[in-house]
Amino acid sequence: MAKRLLRIFGPLILAAILVFAVLASPVTFGFKHISATRERQAAVSLSPNVLRGKHIKEAALSDGYVPFFGSSEWSRIDPMHPSVLAQKYHRDYRPFLLGARGTQSLTQFFVMQNIQGELRNKKAVFFISPQWFVKNGTRKDAFGFYYSQLQTAEWLTHYRHDAIDQYAAKRLLQMPAAQSDHFIYAALQRVAAGKSLTGYQRFYLQTRKNMLTQEDQFFSGINLPSQNLSRVNRQAKKLPTHYSYSALDQLGGQLGKQATGNNRFHISDKFYNQGLKQEIKTGSLKGFQKNLSYLKSPEYSDFQLVLDQFARLNTNVIFIIPPINQRWQRYTGLSETMLKQFDQKIHYQLQSQGFNNIIDLSDKGNVPYFMTDTIHPGWRGWLAIDQRVDPFLTKKQAQPHYKINDKFYDKQWQQLGPAQLTQYENETK
Amino acid sequence: MLTFEPYGNPTYFALLGVALLPLMIGLLYGKRSRLYETLISIFFLVLTFGGSKWTQGVALIIYILYEVVLTWGYAVYRKNHNSGPFFYLMVILAIAPLTIVKVTPAVENGQASLIGFLGISYLTFRAVQTIMETRDGTLKNYNLMTFLQFMLFFPTISSGPIDRYRRFEADYRSVPDREKYLGMLQKGIRYLFVGFLYKFILAYYFGTILMPKLQLMAMHSRGGFLDLSWPLIGYMYAYSADLFFDFAGYSLFAVGTSYIMGIETPMNFKQPWRSPNIKDFWNRWHITLSFWFRDFIYMRLVFWFMKHKIFKKPTTTANVTYIINMLVMGFWHGVTWYYITYGLFHGVALMVNDMWLRYKKKHRQSVPHNHFTQIFAIFLTANLVCFSFLIFSGILDKVWFQ
Repeated sequence: MAKRLLRIFGPLILAAILVFAVLASPVTFGFKHISATRERQAAVSLSPNVLRGKHIKEAALSDGYVPFFGSSEWSRIDPMHPSVLAQKYHRDYRPFLLGARGTQSLTQFFVMQNIQGELRNKKAVFFISPQWFVKNGTRKDAFGFYYSQLQTAEWLTHYRHDAIDQYAAKRLLQMPAAQSDHFIYAALQRVAAGKSLTGYQRFYLQTRKNMLTQEDQFFSGINLPSQNLSRVNRQAKKLPTHYSYSALDQLGGQLGKQATGNNRFHISDKFYNQGLKQEIKTGSLKGFQKNLSYLKSPEYSDFQLVLDQFARLNTNVIFIIPPINQRWQRYTGLSETMLKQFDQKIHYQLQSQGFNNIIDLSDKGNVPYFMTDTIHPGWRGWLAIDQRVDPFLTKKQAQPHYKINDKFYDKQWQQLGPAQLTQYENETK
Repeated sequence: MLTFEPYGNPTYFALLGVALLPLMIGLLYGKRSRLYETLISIFFLVLTFGGSKWTQGVALIIYILYEVVLTWGYAVYRKNHNSGPFFYLMVILAIAPLTIVKVTPAVENGQASLIGFLGISYLTFRAVQTIMETRDGTLKNYNLMTFLQFMLFFPTISSGPIDRYRRFEADYRSVPDREKYLGMLQKGIRYLFVGFLYKFILAYYFGTILMPKLQLMAMHSRGGFLDLSWPLIGYMYAYSADLFFDFAGYSLFAVGTSYIMGIETPMNFKQPWRSPNIKDFWNRWHITLSFWFRDFIYMRLVFWFMKHKIFKKPTTTANVTYIINMLVMGFWHGVTWYYITYGLFHGVALMVNDMWLRYKKKHRQSVPHNHFTQIFAIFLTANLVCFSFLIFSGILDKVWFQ
């Protein structure tokens, strides 16, 4: 009987041991190399698998790609999109687009966790969306969609006992995604309480991290979407061979005009037909953002996590603050005063801590063909961004001097009204 | 609280392995512990219907109690009486919950019924069959505990295969000898592994990777004749492959697990893609379902029609019954135009198939029969089936009406 049983279960046991050995071992199995084509594809794919993973990002970022953190704007690929310009004019850098619809500061903080080596002492671009800073901050389901156990495990294996990690753990515990692994959940509770991890927890996290790293190496490259790369290639063909700002600006205006004929908002026809036409007809969107405010939000502290992380890694980062299509903003009733105050608040958080590279476009909402739709830049907007991003990335920059202040993790800062800003500044110096 | 899709992830299989180990050792030494079997059954039922799905769990308990009252009550009644109308009433009552569950989404804008739970169809098949066999007199010693075990046998609860009470009872009451059980173990483990290949590799490729892309392409290439396009044809094959590998994979898990528990649950698929005609296809595809329909709908209708001399010709009887049988199957899948069309399509296909076979028999000399015609028959059948799955998939509903 023993012999027969061995014949039946032998292969099963062997298979189980092999799978576990392959997954849990820290050895890489020749999957380290990623071809240049694959990197080009991944850099513009906006694929959630790439965002959640590590391997492809790591390879590309150490190969001349620069991380462009942000969200849905990256998918607005027209001829002046940063990826298209960089490719067409053979810039020394290529953007690696990180983020898609629904990614906000907290997701980006975790995305940064397993590319720390590629961020340290390097440059990065960060696109801030005012729309993130709503009352409840990041949406739990969107955060869950982009949540990566690998990034959490990696972060927990090198966390330190300070405000940044405690706050991150507390925030993560508020998300249902944190419960996807029972042991990680328990570890998070200890971090949030300021305690160190137990030996067993450390061992588990290390093993889990190895397994997820292997999984990422084996699988994250499978089924990489390629549509965006072909879009970039198509758009590049529309550009003149030699770069000239005035020629491109004119072209941008022309393209914008062609693409936005059917509505009074200068919104691209395609976007308008798909998402807005019906609602505009019924008038349900008129004035619907009258009471919307971007001034009080937990997002401010999530954003602080990102700043804190950049400072720790000494990353030289340039921030983009986009405008809102003014015609649209007036129609929906979104308050102009509030937007100005948002601009002040975010400027204070950035500049008081030494983040002085800011492309503030918030007053450009009325420039024709600057925006491709309601809130996303297009044509001339992308070009304006390029005017600042290109020199920042290609020319030598002064060393940044960051002075991180933990007060930005406090609820008081999250909920600070616009009128109290000056007073707060003086009190908390 | 943990909750699992049956056979859905590695943790489920790990738990399954741990739970089955004592049972295996017991069976190898000729012992079957009913208590232990009941306990692990309850454990896996709680895993499937507990946690966030607790409403389904409650629906399951109420449903089971209801069906127990019907089957047990009818078994007691049948000892001394045999009224036709009462029997029909019992069958209608037994089917009533399933009917409500199937009709609710059609009349309530796609809302699922509150009394529904994963696997209600398969449990209904088992209960109705128990009542029918009790009427026939073939099932004499109805036993409440065995009936519960039969209904709630966890490996097959969510999607079959549909076992028969008497067959299950025979296995359940006995212990296979060691030689036989070792053979069953060997088969069981092999089935599980072929199941992994089917469900987690092939069905994943066709269903999760290929199908969404083809669907998107098909939606973009609308506008031609009947909105047909190459991507739509690609979708047809990808969907058929996904349907087969997903369901065959699941069935292999269910049968494999049963074998390890010393129960020879019948197989659900037997190389369906090599069927030379549509009738043979239904002997190889979702076998326990098509045999259930054959035994409890088709045959009974044929007998009833013949007994009451409704149709003159036996071929008419067969044809009408094919259509009714397959239409019922279509409705069972759900009350939507595409499921019903799918049923009708197969009913007609079976009719045409019979006609052709009769014609072939009569003209044996003039109809060639060789290697090539065999291959052609298999090719034709497979494509016809794939086309019927295109209807079944519901993509035409999206392509045409959305």
